Amino acid sequence: MKSVFSAPGDYVHFKSQVPLHKIPIGTKQWRYYDFGPKAVPPLICLPGTAGTADVYYKQIMSLSMKGYRVISVDIPRVWNNTEWIQAFEKFLDAIDVHHIHLYGTSLGGFLAQLFAQHRPRRVRSLVLSNTFLETRSFSAAIPWAPIVSWTPSFLLKRYVLTGIRDGHHEPFIADSVDFVVSQVETLSREDLASRLSLTTDDASVGPLLLSDSFMTIMDTNDYCAIPQQLKDQLGERYPEARRAYLKTGGDFPFLSRPDEVNLHLQLHLRRVGVEARPDLVHNIPKGDLGGSPSKESNEDDFDKSHEDDRGGSENSPAKYEINPTPESSGSSNLDKQPLDSSECCHLDHELALYALPGGFTRRKNIVPPGTSVHFVWEYIAIFHLLHHISSLYIIQNYSSEFRQVV
Amino acid sequence: MPSRRRTLLKVIILGDSGVGKTSLMNQYVNKKFSNQYKATIGADFLTKEVQFEDRLFTLQIWDTAGQERFQSLGVAFYRGADCCVLVYDVNSMKSFDNLNNWREEFLIQASPSDPENFPFVVIGNKIDIDGGNSRVVSEKKARAWCASKGNIPYFETSAKEGINVEEAFQCIAKNALKSGEEEELYLPDTIDVGNSSQPRATGCEC
Repeated sequence: MKSVFSAPGDYVHFKSQVPLHKIPIGTKQWRYYDFGPKAVPPLICLPGTAGTADVYYKQIMSLSMKGYRVISVDIPRVWNNTEWIQAFEKFLDAIDVHHIHLYGTSLGGFLAQLFAQHRPRRVRSLVLSNTFLETRSFSAAIPWAPIVSWTPSFLLKRYVLTGIRDGHHEPFIADSVDFVVSQVETLSREDLASRLSLTTDDASVGPLLLSDSFMTIMDTNDYCAIPQQLKDQLGERYPEARRAYLKTGGDFPFLSRPDEVNLHLQLHLRRVGVEARPDLVHNIPKGDLGGSPSKESNEDDFDKSHEDDRGGSENSPAKYEINPTPESSGSSNLDKQPLDSSECCHLDHELALYALPGGFTRRKNIVPPGTSVHFVWEYIAIFHLLHHISSLYIIQNYSSEFRQVV
Repeated sequence: MPSRRRTLLKVIILGDSGVGKTSLMNQYVNKKFSNQYKATIGADFLTKEVQFEDRLFTLQIWDTAGQERFQSLGVAFYRGADCCVLVYDVNSMKSFDNLNNWREEFLIQASPSDPENFPFVVIGNKIDIDGGNSRVVSEKKARAWCASKGNIPYFETSAKEGINVEEAFQCIAKNALKSGEEEELYLPDTIDVGNSSQPRATGCEC
């Protein structure tokens, strides 16, 4: 795990309680949290360009305690909207979730609407926060959009970070910015490039089948990176949607105003008919994530098929003594293999370099590496010495010829 | 001017259960009244666009359940309130006596920066019942209490008949606006003008 810059205490607590899942689905790698009673239809949080699944940790902690199931994901490396819809659908199939409620902020809100448009049967409700209907203005604002996949990491990072408002903030907003910046640091070049491709891939949200009454718009009223016209445009598209505006909160109200955001999310879920199951919450610390017995067999199959990728992370939830960074246990398994093979690779490479006969490489295990290297060096030294002497002889010959010509 | 952001005013309605908080809000926002009583679970809110002196505002009106004290909702619910409406039923002395508790509760939870001058509005509801014959709290008594608490504006309404509801909420909006405007002066983004040289990437959304 890349270290989180001065991680807040509740985040450290979150990491010790909630396992991070990393699974490949199709060609995409998915990184997500899934917490709370499995019997409840989930609220899935989709972050913006600068976000990761981690930015919603305050929602996951608070709402799961109240008996809701919250899933938050990293936007996977997809390069256009069609790919996003397909990848997200595969993800939902893989985690065995059918009907969903989406909470999308910024780019995540745009992707949530696209998914609702193209997969209307799956999306039961939407919470849209500081988001937009179309990407045209972003592609116009980034003239280098066509080469975004070739742009070096530091430029992408700088671009994403300059979008975050700088300057004097009140402490909670300042902390939210710090947290998001630390998350951006964990993103790879490909992650950033794919997200910027998504924002600049000219597209717009078409008409939704979902009725406005199943939508909540949760904009912050102080400022955010999304221009006001785009937010107004979205508001006009869904005139009957519920307006759950927050007076302040900046770009990341889920971090800076978590209690207000959680209250609005709760009110939204209640309004669209999601019933929390606080009675199942006590099961969570038992390491089962509160899974309903009826779904357990399915879940088991799924877990087995992905056991290697998940590593130990599945077992770590909420046992207090277990290591504080669940994903590190997952990756340690993966790390081991490459380590072995890289050792082989190193030896092979060393021997191939000195162009030794095949029979000799097979004996490398018997001969201590130090000896073989020593031997090889002697061999090479002699070879080079001879070569050097002969070349000196040749040069001498040539130079005498040259003098003759002059 | 579509791209100008509207000032958001947050109003909180408090009072005993059954005094008609939800009905008042529904009458004002949706012009609807239902005789069926349905207890509010936790809290809920409605929004209404209001125009005042050529400017548009968004009024976010929070309705609470009277039964509990809503500790579970916590500060989030009260935070940033611009006006608090205290409602009682003119036919119930107990609901009037409790106004003081609701006021104190609000001041503790919301902890406004200037509690002495925080705008409250008091509403005596259900004046239509029995043609006013079952009334137990006199207007004089109510006005005296309001005067003692720093001249709180007072309205007598009927959410059912729609009497005086519009007027009461206009006063609420006006007072909320006054406190909201003052608060706005302290928002960091209004004093951020010196920072304009800094490149502001409008293209990125985070």
